[in-house]
Amino acid sequence: MKAFFCLLTLAFITLASVNIRAAEITVFAAASLTDSLKEIAAGYEKTSGDKITFNFGASSTLARQIDAGAPADIFFSADEAQMDGLAKKDLIDPATRKSRLGNMLVVVIATDSTLQINSASDLTNAAVKQIALADPKAVPAGVYAKAWLTQQQLWPAIEPKVVPTENVRGALAAVESGNVEAGVVYKTDAGISKKVKVAYEVSAKDAPDISYPMALVKESKQPDAAKDFLNYLDSQEAGDIFKKFGFILRD
Amino acid sequence: MTSEEWQIVWFTAWVSALSTLVILPFGLALAWELARRDWPGKSIVETFVSLPLVMPPVATGLILLKLFGRRGTIGGFLHGRLNFDVIFTWRAVLLALSVMSLPLLVRSARVAFEEVNPRLEQIARTLGAGNWRVFFTITVPLAARGIIAGMILAFARALGEFGATIMVAGNIHGKTSTLSLTIFQDVQLGQDTNAFRLLGVSVVLAFAAVWFSEFLLRRKIKTR
Amino acid sequence: MSLLLKNISLPLEPFTLGVDVEIHSLVTAVFGPSGAGKTSLLDLIAGLRRAQSAFIQLDDRVLTDTTAGFFVPTHQRGIGYVPQDLALFPHLSVHQNLLYGCKSGGAANTLFSFDHVIQVLEIQPLISRGVSELSGGEKQRVALARALLASPRLLLLDEPLASLDAPLKAKIIPYLTRIRDEFQIPILCVTHDRLEALALADDIVLLVGGQVLQTGPVLEVFNRPASADVAKFVGVETIQPGTVTIVSDGLAKVSINNATLTTIAPETAACDVFVCIRGEEVILQRDAATGSSVRNHLPARIVALRPEGALVRVELDAGFPLFALVTRPACVELALREGESIIALIKTPAIHLVPR
Repeated sequence: MKAFFCLLTLAFITLASVNIRAAEITVFAAASLTDSLKEIAAGYEKTSGDKITFNFGASSTLARQIDAGAPADIFFSADEAQMDGLAKKDLIDPATRKSRLGNMLVVVIATDSTLQINSASDLTNAAVKQIALADPKAVPAGVYAKAWLTQQQLWPAIEPKVVPTENVRGALAAVESGNVEAGVVYKTDAGISKKVKVAYEVSAKDAPDISYPMALVKESKQPDAAKDFLNYLDSQEAGDIFKKFGFILRD
Repeated sequence: MTSEEWQIVWFTAWVSALSTLVILPFGLALAWELARRDWPGKSIVETFVSLPLVMPPVATGLILLKLFGRRGTIGGFLHGRLNFDVIFTWRAVLLALSVMSLPLLVRSARVAFEEVNPRLEQIARTLGAGNWRVFFTITVPLAARGIIAGMILAFARALGEFGATIMVAGNIHGKTSTLSLTIFQDVQLGQDTNAFRLLGVSVVLAFAAVWFSEFLLRRKIKTR
Repeated sequence: MSLLLKNISLPLEPFTLGVDVEIHSLVTAVFGPSGAGKTSLLDLIAGLRRAQSAFIQLDDRVLTDTTAGFFVPTHQRGIGYVPQDLALFPHLSVHQNLLYGCKSGGAANTLFSFDHVIQVLEIQPLISRGVSELSGGEKQRVALARALLASPRLLLLDEPLASLDAPLKAKIIPYLTRIRDEFQIPILCVTHDRLEALALADDIVLLVGGQVLQTGPVLEVFNRPASADVAKFVGVETIQPGTVTIVSDGLAKVSINNATLTTIAPETAACDVFVCIRGEEVILQRDAATGSSVRNHLPARIVALRPEGALVRVELDAGFPLFALVTRPACVELALREGESIIALIKTPAIHLVPR
């Protein structure tokens, strides 16, 4: 009799803690999306009952991890190249792929800095000893920055000054710490930091086309719940939050 | 192996060797004090010296970053007064390697000093030798094998340093790229073959260093 | 030369070293049992240790004065030290060891020339060898030479013969006396061996349990110990409590239990005494002798016989425990056996009285 009641209690506890409808979705997203996605997810979790877990980082690193079998349900990259890479390996569901957001590049300096940077070529001044970029070899923010500076024919002069960081937030932190004179980050990153100010905004015609695609990872164990979240990310509510943080909506 | 990769190997080797030389005077002095003297607070110093061995290297790197950054206590002074930067330069690599490998040198040297019979040092004094002469003509020669083994261990540790280095020096191509940082980056970029090549080089270097260190210690025991 | 060791106080486990003496003789032995603090005393003189309180002066130079906070560091004291384990530098050759303490500035600065020292200690053939190739006696001589070549004003030797076997001791003692005679350098020699002290020293400082019990010329301390404790440590075999009964004409009668001895009257008018008799001074005889100058003839019974090398230690019961040292051939000749009766003869001047 005692054993039966124990078993019953155990069953109740187990059932109560499992909401049969609730799913746990893992989203691998570019570092620049950290603040906006967290706010979007908080709202979504309340209404849907699903739980969203994030892995933020450089899109190139995340793509490597997915390629190596990391358990991601959704990939939200900061450039098309990384998504293309996974698409080529048939790791994402092309039907769910959508280029959702755009962004702008800015040159940031520390809030207490007295540097004058009014054009791209000002970055070649001797006063600017070191410039932090997300690693231009693969991280989207760095790749974009290099593309911009190459198009301005300034890259060979600037390359020796580059301090590559692991992701775009690392570049932001380097400028905040004062250990580099300037950095090239997304406008949305400059927006969330109080310790840097925008010295120069790269105009749309000078900058490369910045595009943030999102897609379902084929190996996802929760494809339906993941697709629901993707749809939410595509919604107007989510779009308003993205706009609040400074992202450009592509549609 | 490309010439770029050889440059990285060469840079790693000479910065590691330089760091071993840089920590030698302070490391030997500290080891001697710990071996011969007793003073209040000695155990605290012993613990501090051992910290880089036990703490996560990135944590040590973070402390160095805060201290030597332009807004830090030491870095601020260097930048403001002497226009001298440490963070994100090869000097930061030297700093990280030195701090991380110092405990290994101190531990080996301390044991070596403790094994020198203090009576020999005392008798040398009665023969008219002052403290420095005793140290260099009696203590160090008798502790030589242990000290050298410690230096080699420190060198090997410096060769493989990663966590603290990436914090304070970043991985700046041609300026602060070490073997370990480059392996990490190659993996990040999906260039596994390059990574494995460099991995092979680091294994060979580390193996040679540790083997030689053990060889020296073994020889020391045999001749006693 | 004068070496002043005043107000020295150094706590050692389990006693405190307390010394207050003046040393003037050329060779002085610090004599006492192991653990009496002798090595610590040498360390203090050499400046290798600091005492709670001490005043040490060598000739006209103050080396340590704790009340004034004055302390000359070891390497400036000019005091040579040969420790018990010799402490030859194993990583240097014999030649390099010898030259270690030689002052730069050439022969003019040295008290004893290199060649002279080498010749006196006969270590010429050893010079090119390594330290590990030397025998025990050779190491001893090299250590002595090394100390001498540093031109010391005082030489401290810690148990110089302790680790040597008897034949080697006999070989080294002449070198030490040669050092004393040839170099005329003051020597302070620590030893727990009576024969070493007798052979080398003019004066003796008896150190027991950290305290100086007696100082003075060697023979005086050995033959006329100031107290029973001293007598024990200088190796008097028989020490017994007795009572002085009659004193007349410079002689005294002392009774121990039921036996009576004739001795020289003690200086102090003490009644209760310790009677000290060295084993060498007791003669054993089979028959009661007549016409002998010896005043003390004690009938005794042999309790035990203990061979000690060429001698035999005979324990007797003469109304009190009495020890005699005789040769083995004598033992055989007299056919000494346990339980037998024998006569013990002791000369009057050989009995020493210590007030109780």
